[in-house]
Amino acid sequence: MYELNTLLPEYDIKLPTCMYPMKVLNNSRATVDVKADASNGLCNGHANLLATSAVTSGELTKKVCALDLDNLSAQIQKLLKSSNDVDGVSARQEKVLKQLQELKEQMANIRASLGLCQKGAQHTVQTSLRNGGLREEPLHDIVINGHPNFIPYALLALKNAWKDLFTIDVKIFKHSTVPDIGKEASEFEKKLAQVKVDPSKPKVNVSLIWKNCEHTEMISSPTMYVPIYGEVNIIRYLGRVGPEAYRYENSPNCNEIDAVLDICYQLLRCNTSKSRAAMLRALNLRLGKQKYFGGDEISVADIGVHSSLKRLPAITPKDLTPTLTEWRKRVQLVTQL
Amino acid sequence: MVADKENVATASSAVEGEATSKKAAKKQAKEALKAAKKAESKAANMAANGEEAGDAVDVSAGRYGSTGLIQSKEKFEERKFVSVNELSQPEYRDQVVWVRGRVHTSRAKGKQCFLVLRQQSSTVQCILAVNERVSKQMVKFSGNVSKESIIDVQAKVVTVPNKIESCTEQTIELCIEQLFVVSLAKPQLPLQIEDASRPENADDPEGLNIRVNQDTRLDNRILDLRTPANQAIFRLEAGVCRLFRDILTAKGFTEIHTPKIISAASEGGANVFTVSYFKESAYLAQSPQLYKQMAIAADFDKVYTVGAVFRAEDSNTHRHLTEFVGLDLEMAFKYHYHEVLHTIADTFTGIFKGLRDNYSREIEAVNQQFKAEPFKFLEPPLILEFAEGVKMLREAGIETGDEEDLSTPNEKLLGRLVKAKYDTDFYVLDKFPLAIRPFYTMPDPNNPIYSNSYDMFMRGEEIISGAQRIHDPDFLVERAKHHGIDITKIAAYIESFRFGCPPHAGGGIGMERVVMLYLGLDNIRKTSMFPRDPKRLTP
Repeated sequence: MYELNTLLPEYDIKLPTCMYPMKVLNNSRATVDVKADASNGLCNGHANLLATSAVTSGELTKKVCALDLDNLSAQIQKLLKSSNDVDGVSARQEKVLKQLQELKEQMANIRASLGLCQKGAQHTVQTSLRNGGLREEPLHDIVINGHPNFIPYALLALKNAWKDLFTIDVKIFKHSTVPDIGKEASEFEKKLAQVKVDPSKPKVNVSLIWKNCEHTEMISSPTMYVPIYGEVNIIRYLGRVGPEAYRYENSPNCNEIDAVLDICYQLLRCNTSKSRAAMLRALNLRLGKQKYFGGDEISVADIGVHSSLKRLPAITPKDLTPTLTEWRKRVQLVTQL
Repeated sequence: MVADKENVATASSAVEGEATSKKAAKKQAKEALKAAKKAESKAANMAANGEEAGDAVDVSAGRYGSTGLIQSKEKFEERKFVSVNELSQPEYRDQVVWVRGRVHTSRAKGKQCFLVLRQQSSTVQCILAVNERVSKQMVKFSGNVSKESIIDVQAKVVTVPNKIESCTEQTIELCIEQLFVVSLAKPQLPLQIEDASRPENADDPEGLNIRVNQDTRLDNRILDLRTPANQAIFRLEAGVCRLFRDILTAKGFTEIHTPKIISAASEGGANVFTVSYFKESAYLAQSPQLYKQMAIAADFDKVYTVGAVFRAEDSNTHRHLTEFVGLDLEMAFKYHYHEVLHTIADTFTGIFKGLRDNYSREIEAVNQQFKAEPFKFLEPPLILEFAEGVKMLREAGIETGDEEDLSTPNEKLLGRLVKAKYDTDFYVLDKFPLAIRPFYTMPDPNNPIYSNSYDMFMRGEEIISGAQRIHDPDFLVERAKHHGIDITKIAAYIESFRFGCPPHAGGGIGMERVVMLYLGLDNIRKTSMFPRDPKRLTP
C-alpha cells in the first residue's frame, strides 16, 4: 500500500483564546496512557481524538496501523481496571446535576419575580409523572369528528370510567354541515356535561365536532395530519394516554383485548341482522365465564363493546345472551351510558 | 346623437391611415341602420294609428314596435306581468302572460327568431315564428333589437320536450305574440355580459378563454353588475347587513349614526384624508371608535353602526379599499369582556347560518362563476388563545416570538392549521400581546404581557380586531404616556371618561371583506359595488 502523505503541515496548532479548553474527562493518567498507546502504533486513534484535543494530527497519521488484538484487549482491560476514572465521572455527573438543579431554581425565581404564568408546562409534567417518569411529548388537544347519527358513546363511557383517575375535558361544537344534531346527540351532550371535571387530575382536551362525515375520526396534530378512523381506534389511543390501569399494551391480555376491539369494529359495520348475530356470538364466546372481557378487571375492551352495543339500536336485549346481559349490567355501573 | 358620438370616439382612437375609410364605412352603416329603424318605427307608428303600411300588408301591425318614451301616460292595468323565475310554475302553463326583460341574445333566421330574455339572474328562451298573426316584418324587427335592450313581451308559456340547457328556465319557452321595445341599448357594448359571466376555470382547455379584465369591468360597472354572479354578490352583501342589524337588534343593541367629518384623526394621524372645511381643514373618519365609546359613556349600553369608513392607505392590494362600509359595535359589559367576545362571535355565527339557510341560491350563483370551497364554521365558534396559536405555528416549524404580531403569511398558515385540525373557516384568537395593541387596550390582569383583546379570522384573514377599552381616565393617561402619545391631542377622548363610564369592549368589521371571504373571492373590488382605491375614483 502507498503511504499517505500528511495533508496538514506539521506544526503545532495554536488554539484560539476565545474558547474554553475542555477538561480531559479521564484523569491525566489515562491521557498519558493513551498517548503512550498511540506511540505504540495501535489502531485507536479514535480514543485518542476523544481523549485529548491537544494531540497533533501529524503524530497520528505517521503511525502505521497494525492491528494487534492481544495488545488491544490488554489496553481495554487496563482502561476498565482504572476504577477511579468511573468514580471521577460519577462525581462529575453528581456535580452537573446539582448545578442543573440550582439553575432550575434560579429560573423559577426569575419567573416568579416576573409574574409569568407557568402554563403550558403543566400537563406535560402531570402526564410524565403518570408515566413512571418516562419523557413524554406534551399531549395534543385532540379533535374528534362524529356524525350525530353515530354517536361516539365511548367518550362518555371513558369519561365516567376514569372519573377518579383522569379528566377528559370535552368541548362540543356543531359543524356547519349539520344544521340539526337531533335529540339523541343533545341528550349525549347533556350527559357529557354532567360529569364533573377535577382540575387536579391529569387531563386531555377533546373537541367533539358534530359533522357530516362518514367515519368517526380523530385528529391530534394538523402538521402531522394522520386522522385515526373508527371509534375503537380512538379508544385505543385514549387507552394509551389515559390512566395506567387502562393501558393494556403490556398486559398479558393485550391480544385478547385487541381481538375484542376488532370485533366491535366489525360489528359497527354489519348491515344485516345475521352478521350482527354472528358478531354477538363471537363476543359471547370471548367473554365466556369471565367477569369482564379479558379477566376480572374492566378494560378498554369492555368500554368498546358497551358503547358499540349502545350505538346499534337494532340490537335489542333479546339478542343478547344471558352472560352478555349480566356483563352489560356490570359495565353499565361504571360507564353510565 | 349617441351613435354619432360613438363614431367620433372610435375614429379618434383609430390609426390615422385607416381612420377615414373606417369612419366613413361605419358612419354609412350607422346611417343605414338609423334609416331602417326610422322607417320601421314610422311603419309601426302608422300601423298603430290604424293606417295600413304602404308596400306590404303587415298582419301584425300594432303588435310590435317601440313603446315610445314612457312618460306615465297610460296605465295598461290589464297587463299582468310575471317574473321570469316564476314562469315554470304550473299555474302559468299555456297561459298568455306579459314579461319585461332584457334581450340577452337574439338570433333571427328567415322566418324565425330566437330571443333569450333575461331578468336579473333568470333567463328564458322566447321564440317568434312567422304565422297568420306574426308577420315577416315583426320577426325582422325582433331580430334587430340590440342586446341589453329592455322589451315587453306578451307571450304564451309552452312546455318544451327537451331541456333548454342555455337558460335558467329549462322546462318552458315563450311563444311571443306582442313585442315592444321600452328602452334601446347601444348596439356596441364595451363588454359582453356572456364574457363577463363566464366561469373562471383556468384548467379547462376546451372552454372559451375570453375574459373581461377587472379594470374593464369596473369602468363599465353597470354592465358588469348585470352578470348573475354580481347580482348574487350584492344581494348577499345586503343579506350580511340585514342579518347584522337583525341579530344585534334582537340582542338589544341600538343603531347609532356617527359623524364622518371629524376635527382630529381618530386612530393615529397617518392614514387620514384631509378635506377643506370652510376656512379650516377637517378629516374623514377612519373609524367610529370614539363616537361608539362616547355613546357607551352616554348610557346607550349596546350600540352598533353601519357606515362609510375612510382610510388613506396607498396600498394597492387585493384587500384594501380607501372607502368601505364598516359594521362597528360597542357594548358595555358587567365583569368580563368575554361577554362581548361571545356576543360578537355569536353574531358572526348567526350571520353565517342566515346566509347558509336563506342565501343558498346566491351562493350557488357566485360559485358557478367563481369556484370556492363552501364556508365552514363551528357552533359555538372556536376560541383559541394567542399563545395556543403561537404554539401551533411553532409545531409547524415557524419561528415566532411570544410578543410578536402575526405576519400575513403566518396568519394564513395558522388559518390553514386551524382548518386542518378543526375544519372551520372562522375562529377567534383571544389575548393578544399588549405590546402590539393600541394604547387604549386593557392589559390582561393575570399576565402583563398579554391584553384583553381579540381578533377574528375568516379563511385565515383577519376581519375584526377588538378589545376591552380602558374606561378609567387616569389609567388611560398612564398607558398613553407609556406609548409616547401626546396627551393634549387626545384630551377630549380622555375627558369623556371623567363622568363615569361602564367597562366596555367592541370591534369593527369591514363588510366588503366579510363578503369576499365568505364567498372565497380573490379581490375585494368584487364585493364593493363602486370600489374606491388609490387608483380609482370613478365611476
